[in-house]
Amino acid sequence: MAESGQLTSSTGATFNTLAGSFFRQFGFLLIIAAVFGFFSFYATNFLTGSNLLNIVEGSSILLILALGMTYIVALGGIDLSVGIAFDFGAAFAIVALKNYDLVWYLAVLAGIGGGLLVGLLNAFLVVRLSVSPFMATLGTFFIGSSVQRIFTNGGGPISHRRAPQEFRNLAIGNVSGIPTEIIIAAVVLLIYYLFLEKSIFGKRIHAIGMQREAALVAGINVKKYLFWGFVVAGATCAIGGIIGSANLRMFSPLAGYSYLLDAIAAVFIGASLNRSGRPSVTGTLIGVLFLGMIANGLNLMGLNFNTKDALEGIILVVVLMLAVYQQKAMTHRQ
Amino acid sequence: MNNNTQSMAFDWRGFTGYLPFLVFILMLGYLGYSAPNLLTAESIDLILRQSVPTVVVCLGLAVVVIAGGDDVVSGGIDLSIPAAAVLAAAIIADQLTNHGTAFVPALSMAMCAAMLVGVVNAFLVVRVGMTPLLATLATSVATVGITKVVTASRRINVDHPTIVGLRDNELYGLSVGVLLTMVLVVIFYAAVHRSKWGMNLQAVGGNRDAADISGIPVRRMLAQSFVVASMAGGLASVFILARGSGSSPGSEENLLLEMILATFLGAAFSPRRVVTLWGAVLGAVLVTALSIGFKSIGVNVFWTGCIKGALILFVVATAALATGKK
Repeated sequence: MAESGQLTSSTGATFNTLAGSFFRQFGFLLIIAAVFGFFSFYATNFLTGSNLLNIVEGSSILLILALGMTYIVALGGIDLSVGIAFDFGAAFAIVALKNYDLVWYLAVLAGIGGGLLVGLLNAFLVVRLSVSPFMATLGTFFIGSSVQRIFTNGGGPISHRRAPQEFRNLAIGNVSGIPTEIIIAAVVLLIYYLFLEKSIFGKRIHAIGMQREAALVAGINVKKYLFWGFVVAGATCAIGGIIGSANLRMFSPLAGYSYLLDAIAAVFIGASLNRSGRPSVTGTLIGVLFLGMIANGLNLMGLNFNTKDALEGIILVVVLMLAVYQQKAMTHRQ
Repeated sequence: MNNNTQSMAFDWRGFTGYLPFLVFILMLGYLGYSAPNLLTAESIDLILRQSVPTVVVCLGLAVVVIAGGDDVVSGGIDLSIPAAAVLAAAIIADQLTNHGTAFVPALSMAMCAAMLVGVVNAFLVVRVGMTPLLATLATSVATVGITKVVTASRRINVDHPTIVGLRDNELYGLSVGVLLTMVLVVIFYAAVHRSKWGMNLQAVGGNRDAADISGIPVRRMLAQSFVVASMAGGLASVFILARGSGSSPGSEENLLLEMILATFLGAAFSPRRVVTLWGAVLGAVLVTALSIGFKSIGVNVFWTGCIKGALILFVVATAALATGKK
């Protein structure tokens, strides 16, 4: 058994020719191109300027959540409560507007505060109580879902039709023709890029994610980075929730859950595009746009709602599989 | 001196180790005190009946965790068992109610579908090398999507005599469903603790490299654990249908919560703090007892998720503090 395993791996190594290594490095980009080509051909109106803008705009919220996730995955953890931070952001903002008549920017701050609460709970659990990120954020997820049900008495939405125009503009407005959603997402993207990829803090974060013990020995305050990681990720996801609530002028409980797997998938797709197999901001951006393209294309093909859900799930499994396969293939070669 | 500090540390750890169990007993005691009819034979029967689906999916998860090790991120975990169970339930309900299929073919179709989920998990984890967490999260979402196609997101009622009989018929004063589950528990126990296969499985979970060196087919064992888990999911579907008199969309989320809570709570009960079959079964029954207890003293149903979530965290946190793990 062990012998045959070695045999296949050694023959695999001899097949490691130029074409093989090309596919390993760019295989996923080829898949993206192929999917793009497929939809351009089969989904009417896919390849129009306004639809491509739609894809980008429709991906804004997912991008913001996925960036928060990128941060946590870069630290070597996972955050299953990004959807809860999203929901809390939406709930706090809408309630601040509706019940307390706050000005729109204070409502935005309240929303971010909601996300901070979720992040603080995670941070406390992971750093103080040494619970693994998976278990901690899973617990937060269940508690957060339950709190929303209690607060809304079973899960009914809280709508606020007369939300101020400035608040609504966060989602539906535009600045010289560019939708505000895209601008907000771009600003968050830029901040994350500078922070995670270009600063000493980012280097330390990646160091913690790769070798926590080594990072500790090298004098990095691992606990501090973990703590702030969860807090910042919570606040970031709340921004997504605020935009979502501004768009619909309501808070619908548990809406954030639908972003969870997409956010994780985007980060891992992004990581597979990287030479080092590490999560990165640019990789996540590509992953998010790829998922947005698939959702948009399936929509335009006019599929039934349930069928679309199933297809998206299956495509996600296949895409993640290819992404991880490519990632393994690349890191093994080094 | 050194010896002394060690023994002191051990005592403290021993105490925090028993905390979850103590808290549980205290909570049950409190519930039994405030709702006196909770500890009657009748309501214990109810608790057992209600806990059946959770017990069965917990058996599956316990096998995966035993084979993969109990680190949730890099070790074994299968989040897709509840989704597979709900898919299987949907298929059986759809076949029995909408197509008039007989029970056995309907069950076989459902088992095939559930086990397909397990095969995909096994492939993703063992062949592709995905972490079980990511792989089973992804398959669970896909499975939920497929369930929506089967049921068109609607509830399907089932009044097939086999399903109703599973709920209502009794043998020696025990519900048939409970008896069948006991048989399942015994079969799983025999397979994991009293067979060569089970010994190999535990060896793989204990130390993968050592198992590999001693000639145990590690990858095959891991793959089998996922398939067995999905099989448990498929079998749980029948009990889900019996408990709910049909299949309802979205029931996988609560089952997932109960499964994880019960399995890791069971680990907190075991002397070595590892996931075991008995622990998982006991955990599942206790969790159900808590749910029913809270309901019977009039706690709002929406609070139960909160209480259970807090319980998971409490159990895991005390376990982490007890082992002094970072």
